[in-house]
Amino acid sequence: METALTKVKSEEYGGELIQLVSFNLEKEEYGINVLMVREIIRMLNITRVPNTPHYVEGVINLRGKVIPIINLRKKFDLMDTEYDKRTRIMVMEVVGELMGFIVDEVSEVIRISEKEIQPPPPVVSSGIEQECMAGVINQAERLLVLLDLEKMFSADERRLFSNVA
Amino acid sequence: MAIDCEDQELLDGFLAETTELLEKLDDDLISLEKSPEDADLMNRIFRSIHTVKGASSFLGFDMLVKVTHKTEDVLNRLRKVELTLTPEIMDVILEAVDLVKTLVADIKGGDIIERDLEGTIAKLIPYLSENAVEATVLAPVFAPKEEKEAAPPAAPTEPAASQQAGEAAPAEPQPAKAEPKAESAPKQVAPSPQPKPQPVKEPQKAPAKGGEDLADNSTVRVDVKRLDDLMNQVGELVLERNRMIQLHSDYQTGLNPAEFGDDFGKLSKRLNFVTSELQMQVLKMRMLPVEKVFKKFPRIVRNLARDLGKEVDLVIYGEETELDRSVVDEIGDPLIHLIRNALDHGLETPEQRLAAGKDRTGTVVLSAAHEGNQIVISIKDDGRGIDPDRIARKALDKGLVTDDQVAAMGTREILDLIFLPGFSTKEQTTDLSGRGVGMDVVRTNIRKLNGIIEIKNELGHGSEFILKLPLTLAIIQSLLVEVEKEVYSIPLASVIETMRVSKKEFHMIGGQEVLKLRDSVLPLLRLQRTFGCHEVYTDRDTCYVVIVGVAEKRIGLIVTRLLGQQEVAIKSLGKFLSNLPGIGGSTIMGDGRVALIVDPIGLVGGAA
Repeated sequence: METALTKVKSEEYGGELIQLVSFNLEKEEYGINVLMVREIIRMLNITRVPNTPHYVEGVINLRGKVIPIINLRKKFDLMDTEYDKRTRIMVMEVVGELMGFIVDEVSEVIRISEKEIQPPPPVVSSGIEQECMAGVINQAERLLVLLDLEKMFSADERRLFSNVA
Repeated sequence: MAIDCEDQELLDGFLAETTELLEKLDDDLISLEKSPEDADLMNRIFRSIHTVKGASSFLGFDMLVKVTHKTEDVLNRLRKVELTLTPEIMDVILEAVDLVKTLVADIKGGDIIERDLEGTIAKLIPYLSENAVEATVLAPVFAPKEEKEAAPPAAPTEPAASQQAGEAAPAEPQPAKAEPKAESAPKQVAPSPQPKPQPVKEPQKAPAKGGEDLADNSTVRVDVKRLDDLMNQVGELVLERNRMIQLHSDYQTGLNPAEFGDDFGKLSKRLNFVTSELQMQVLKMRMLPVEKVFKKFPRIVRNLARDLGKEVDLVIYGEETELDRSVVDEIGDPLIHLIRNALDHGLETPEQRLAAGKDRTGTVVLSAAHEGNQIVISIKDDGRGIDPDRIARKALDKGLVTDDQVAAMGTREILDLIFLPGFSTKEQTTDLSGRGVGMDVVRTNIRKLNGIIEIKNELGHGSEFILKLPLTLAIIQSLLVEVEKEVYSIPLASVIETMRVSKKEFHMIGGQEVLKLRDSVLPLLRLQRTFGCHEVYTDRDTCYVVIVGVAEKRIGLIVTRLLGQQEVAIKSLGKFLSNLPGIGGSTIMGDGRVALIVDPIGLVGGAA
């Protein structure tokens, strides 16, 4: 009886437990819903695309499909570093389009309960725009910033994206 | 009402067949109006309608049956020469065909919507009224109108009944008519037996749209021969793949390492041959005759001409010219706008034409032809032509350009003003024109296709719009160039020539770098600067200039070196990067890297 109830509940709320892919940027840990992530690949040859915002690193050939690559360090105004053997491209589907995001390192998939997500603190120091933070997860040893990339590419920004010259 | 059809395949077949028949029908009907005594044509039309009727009654689409049946009856009388074809009859028949199209579109959309069939049917019925065979149904003058009122409540039984009625089993419809007679009596006055222009207009517009949606783009009919050829080629490809696997395993086991290079060379040659054949085949399969677009124009021209009170002959050449599906889909709208303009602005009224010493009837020539790897479509009218002064004045009035700008313009530039959004020579916006949108649509769509528009104009004698379009959008020949270690691809279609020059030959005129080329002065554009590439080679004093042309404009692009010519498949950059100036897309090179495709139109526009 009780199990049946919780099951219904979890279906209704899209699952109490959510899985996050955690990755690092400048020693900070971030999380993103695993359902957003299509694949994680190593660095490839990136073709620069002129006249794009600075954080658009270029495009890559992902098995015959050309997808844009965004450097999250640059996007968040963090210091630019050299790519190393841990650098990864996380390929995600953002508003219906495949896109790659360069991160320092991808660490693991973690399960957290939705209750653990706290609203983001009012002031964010690291330069991440407030609106793309979906929340903060405070676990015993670690602090995880939950990102919402759909918000990051708000309609406004998407337009800019293509018109910045 | 959702469609209850058990056999989806049957339904698909019905839709495909009906769509095809209806498309042909429009064309045939227009031809029929021109040559009413053509018995073959008449029979063909009759057969088409009959087929549609038969198939829809089999599948139980009652509304369709009802309309097609009445249309068939009218056609039948025409066929037996009991009626003579007048434009009024044709209007009604066309309206009925439009209604049929709408109904079919509804079915295709998956939902049958109750539509008002009665208005159209009522207009058909008067033409049946003197028919002896159907006298029982329609003998009293008022009867047809009653029938119209009777139809909605009797919907499920009516089609069957009226079908029989057509074969002279007249007793049945009578009782059905009798009851509603009383209640509907007052309304009967409203619909007149003669189609008035006003009621005709409205129903015509809506279905016309439906008719366009009707054009089926989700499935393709391919010649079996072409499919067989394709299969053969794929077989070849499989063989070559096996050969490759064999070669690789031989190489790994260390057999004949010396011959490997040789064998591999042969293999890649064959593979090259097979793939390019395959590419041709697939390309051919994607090709459609431009007729698919052209065949709706006679109908449009006819309606427009009647609305405008002009007499127009539409002459179509080269409708068998084939081009890529993607292009066919895109050129429909621009052509409609151009044809509309030709009729509305270009051609004069019969009186004006006679006064100007021309034939009463104006001519619009629509033609298509291949020219190299381009297709050239032209719309030519023998009307009054475009008056550049008037264009310039209008553009000034509307505040689209300034006096100084106009003063600096040549005739060609002034004519180009008509493409500006918001430009219109009409004082008043009508439902036909005047919003200043049409030509902008033309330009946008043609640009999207990488095409060129040329205007030939002779004041008083007509104008001609020439569209030059690439045959296909998916694969293009391109020139690969290097710009400071970055590889770009320039569509070969727009490359006019390339040359190696010393940087000393560049001149500066008004802050613009130019090159003296034979007897002209060519503006130059450093791709390295436009694309913000890091300068790698600072000590080189020679470079290459790629001269590209878009429409009448020429510009020289400065690149570091030329890498060669390659056939490339265009890949979109996705919607985030779709509007980059000077970049038209991307392609994947032999080594798996992405190379960007330069968009000469964007560059030329930006530099001018």
